[in-house]
Order: sequence, then C-alpha cells, then structure tokens
Amino acid sequence: MHEALLTLGFGLVTAAILSLSALAFTLEYSVTNVANLSHGEILTVGAYCAYLVQQHGGGVILSGLAAAAGGGLLALAVHNGVVDRFVRRGIGGLPTFIATLGVSLVIQNILVIIFGAANLGYTVPQGAPRTVGPFLWTDTEIQIMVSAVVITALLYVIIQHTRFGKSLRAVSQNRSLARVSGINANRVAALTWLLAGLIGGYAGFILAESVGTFSPYSGFSFFLITLTAAVAGGLGKAVGTLVGGIIVGIALEFFGGYLSASYNLAFAFAILSLVILVRPRGLFVGGRRSIFE
Amino acid sequence: MIDYLVSVLTEGSIFAIMALGLNIIWGWSGDFDLAFYGYVALGAYMTLVLTIGPATSPTTYILGLSLPFPIAVAIAVISSMLLALIVGAIALRHLRGIYFSIVTLGAVYVLYTFAGQFVPLFNGYNGLSGLFDPMGDFFNLDFTSYPFFYLGLCVVVLCVVLFLVTRLSGSRFGLALRSLREDERAAAAFGRGIYVMKLKAYVIGAGIGGLGGALFAGYLSAFNPSAWSPVETIVLYAAILVGGRGSNRGVVLGVAVMVMGLQEATRYLPEIANQPSFAPAFRLILTGVILVLFIRFRPQGLLPERRLRDKDPAGTGGTAVAAGNAVAGATLDTGAA
Repeated sequence: MHEALLTLGFGLVTAAILSLSALAFTLEYSVTNVANLSHGEILTVGAYCAYLVQQHGGGVILSGLAAAAGGGLLALAVHNGVVDRFVRRGIGGLPTFIATLGVSLVIQNILVIIFGAANLGYTVPQGAPRTVGPFLWTDTEIQIMVSAVVITALLYVIIQHTRFGKSLRAVSQNRSLARVSGINANRVAALTWLLAGLIGGYAGFILAESVGTFSPYSGFSFFLITLTAAVAGGLGKAVGTLVGGIIVGIALEFFGGYLSASYNLAFAFAILSLVILVRPRGLFVGGRRSIFE
Repeated sequence: MIDYLVSVLTEGSIFAIMALGLNIIWGWSGDFDLAFYGYVALGAYMTLVLTIGPATSPTTYILGLSLPFPIAVAIAVISSMLLALIVGAIALRHLRGIYFSIVTLGAVYVLYTFAGQFVPLFNGYNGLSGLFDPMGDFFNLDFTSYPFFYLGLCVVVLCVVLFLVTRLSGSRFGLALRSLREDERAAAAFGRGIYVMKLKAYVIGAGIGGLGGALFAGYLSAFNPSAWSPVETIVLYAAILVGGRGSNRGVVLGVAVMVMGLQEATRYLPEIANQPSFAPAFRLILTGVILVLFIRFRPQGLLPERRLRDKDPAGTGGTAVAAGNAVAGATLDTGAA
C-alpha cells in the first residue's frame, strides 16, 4: 500500500508536467485546427533556454521564466511563419500537419548543431526528498506541482474571465463566425499560440528538471505521450485534456514502477490507439466542439 | 571517387525502392502513414536474422538461420507485409487524416521500443551485424568488384519495382485508389470497397518498403536502432513531395534530388571540431525547410502526376482536364493518337 502511494506521488509529478504540455497542445489545436507536430520542440527549446540561463548563474525562477519566454517566442514564430500562412490559404489540416513535422525536424537539428546531440543536465540540485503526508517529494518536485496548479488556474481565469479568453473561445468554436463578429481571428490565434508556447516552454523546463537530463530529441518523445493525454481528453478541449493528462501521467508511473519503465512509450501508445479506436473524440465527449466542455 | 559514386548510387536506388512503396500508400491511396519506416526496418532485421546464422553469446536474437540471401529477402518482405496487414487492418478500419497518422506513429514507436529494449528479439540496442557481401561467394566476387555487383543488383531490383508499380499505377486498382484519395464517399458510391482497397495498397506498399529494407541490410551489413528512427520516414516523404506525389518517375527524381543531391550538396561542408553530427543535422534542416516550402508553394512536386486519360476507344471524352471543353479535348486527343 505504501509503495502504491509512493508511485502515486511520482505519478502526480508526471501528471503535472504532462497536463501543462497537453493543455498547451490543445490550445494550439483549438484555434487553428492544426495538430502541431512541432509541439515537442517548444518543450525542448524551453529546456535549453533554462539551461543557458543557469549557465550564466540564473536561479530556478529566472530559468523558468526564460524557458517560458523561449517556448512562447518559438510557438509564435511557428504560428506566424508557417501555420497561419497555411491556414489562411486554406491548405487543409493534414498538409499543415505534415509541414509542422518538417518544422520539428528543422528545430531538432538546429539544436543538435548548437548544443550537440548528447544529453545535458541542470546544475541546480533537486533537494533532498521529504515526506509530505504519505508521499515522498523533493523540493523540485513540489515546485513542479505547485507551479502547474497555479498555471492551470491562471489559464482558467484567462480563458473564462477575460475579453481575450472570450475571443479565444469564439475562434475555437467557429473561426469564420468569430471573424464576422468583429474578432481579429489571426491575432487571437497568434496570441493563443504565444500563450501555449509560454506554458509549453515552462513544461519543457520542469520536464528536464524532473527527468534530470535532456537532449534535442527529448521534447519529441515526450510529445508522443502528450498526444496520448490530449487525444484521450479530446483534442481541443481544455478540461478533458487536463483530466487526460492526470490519468495518463499516473497510469504511466504505475506501469513504469510495476512493470517496466523501458516500455513506457509503447504503453502510452497502447492507450492512445485504444482511445482513438474506441472513442475517437476523446473519453469525455459531449456533443459540441468547444474548448470548455 | 568511383567507390564513392557507387555507394551513393546504391543508396539512392535502395531509397528509391522504399519511396516507391511509400508512394503507393500516400501518393495513390492518400494515407499519411508514419509507420512506414517500421516496415523498412523489419525487412532489414528479418533479412539479417535469416542469414547471419545462430546467435553467439552475448548476442541474442530470434531465428538465427543461414538461408541464402534471396530466400531471406523474400521472407523479410512477407513479414513486413504481415505486420502491415495487422497495423493497417486496425488503423484503416475507421481512421483517416491525422488520427490515422497518429496511430501509425504509435505503432512504429512500439516497434522501435521493442527492437531497442527487448534484447531476445533483435539483440536490443546493439543490433545485428555480420551479413557480409550477400551472394558474393556464389558469384565468386572479391571485395573490389563486389560493390559494383551490389549496385547492379539494386538497380535491377529498382527497375523491376518501377516496372511493376507503373503497371499497377495504370491498372483498374491503381485508378480506383486515386479515386479514393480524391473523394472517398464518391468512390464508395460507385461501389468501391474502401477498406479492402486501402488495406491492399497499404500491404503492397509496406512489402516494397520491406524489400528496400532487406537490400539496405545487405548494403550496410548491420542494423541497429541507432541506424534508423521513425523520423526517417520524413526524408522519404520529402523525396516524394519534391518529386511529385503519386507519380512514379517523380518519386525517383525526388529521391535523386533529396537523398543523393542533398548528400552531394552538403558533402564539402566544413568539418567542425567536436561536431561530427554537423553535416547530417544540416541535411535534415534542409530537408525540413524544403518539405515546408514545397507543401506551401508546389504541392504537386517537380514532375506532377499526370492527369488520367480515358482509354476507352469508343469514348469521345478527352482528358479529365478537357472535360469542360469537349472540342479542344477531342482535337488534342486525335493529335496525340
């Protein structure tokens, strides 16, 4: 029982990272209807930005901010440079999806050229594990979970209670209708991608903190798990994605803890395929397509 | 110099075979399959375990036979087709578009994980090696003449594959596949069995991919998870897209440009200290950029797929393009005949 609770504790850490990453992915999807295959690279770039800051003596907070900024700028660049141009010209979802795969290849290899393909790690120590109730967490892991909850709450407020959030919801439901109602859909989409990039970049930082090392390819591997969470929750739906992230994160830790961590990715995809085949629109679907359901 | 040319051409022919296989799945049938390199890899792995003999400790792998190369290749192709049959049967049943792509991406990552982690299968991360100069002894070739023989073999196989896919392309099956790609519902309304046709195309394409993988194994003489990654499929997609999606000649041209051409173009890049991966990384960056630019500005590729003609001699119809202008179409047709 005790061991199960410990595993649950680790699962919550993974779930926190995964939820943030999946939320960012879902935000991107909701406003452009494009599954962004270069989403993993937003995380990777975040991790490297934080690394650079730490190399110059920055602390955890500064690293986190740098990671978010790097991810945000990248997401904005991918949106304005590629995705938006494709969407505006009416190039369909699948070709744009393929294009983002090309973008992912480009970013990965730029990172390989700049930093090399080898694994890197942060210098800031994790802190000793401490007992919190039945769980065993390090300071870093507590920071990860607390920040994830804060960011999710902030995101909820932004989407539900600001003017921008209202436009975001409008664009995600029906882009053309939003436009004729006087919403600058391109601007809203760009800002949404920026927001998603901020979250994704930070997720990349805490992912690297939690795993300990990162490489130009680590974002892409984690993206595959992100995809599982996002699709399980229903593409483009924030609450579903959040729940999907938590479920998949915990399930992965239990699978890794009790069976074999090497097959984590395979396990994630087994879940993904099952969900897609049985409930292709996500586990928690209602009828309408909307970011808050 | 000549050795270098031989190796580039051999590699190019092998990649062209793989790309022709993928072109059936994506170019004709219209399914963006991300699992494709898994079938290539399985073909390579199977060829190795069927030819290199029993495993000696500490290596472990399945089978470990010493079959002649051609038989091993045939079995490798069949195993790739069987795997494609399983994956395709599940994924093609209901899924299209990005959902199909995501599930196939999942399938290939499962295969990749097992190839890398499950040691009894293909010796895990260290992979397999030991297939030296297949059929070299049979033809009494030494190591100087062997590369020429293997190049010849690959080119002959490429020509056979090209001939077969060209026949297939103009067949009723090939034409019907295009109709699925353009409008699945309309094709279904004309009585096409969508699922079975797409599955057939998928399995045939994967078989050709497995054949490419088998030749690749013979060329490399070894195969391990660091020699391939699922992302490799993108290079094949870039080649197809640049050449002309759906067009066989285009695909061969695309491979010449994207695989051999890029290799040549980046050959004289300066070596950077501590950066052995600079040239390959730079090549992949170029591949990605070209992929994006072609999707945006020239999705039909350099040698676009030709519009199909109505071959019925009794019909007065011209080409699909001329449908709106019957007179011009008819004149053009007589001129061509």
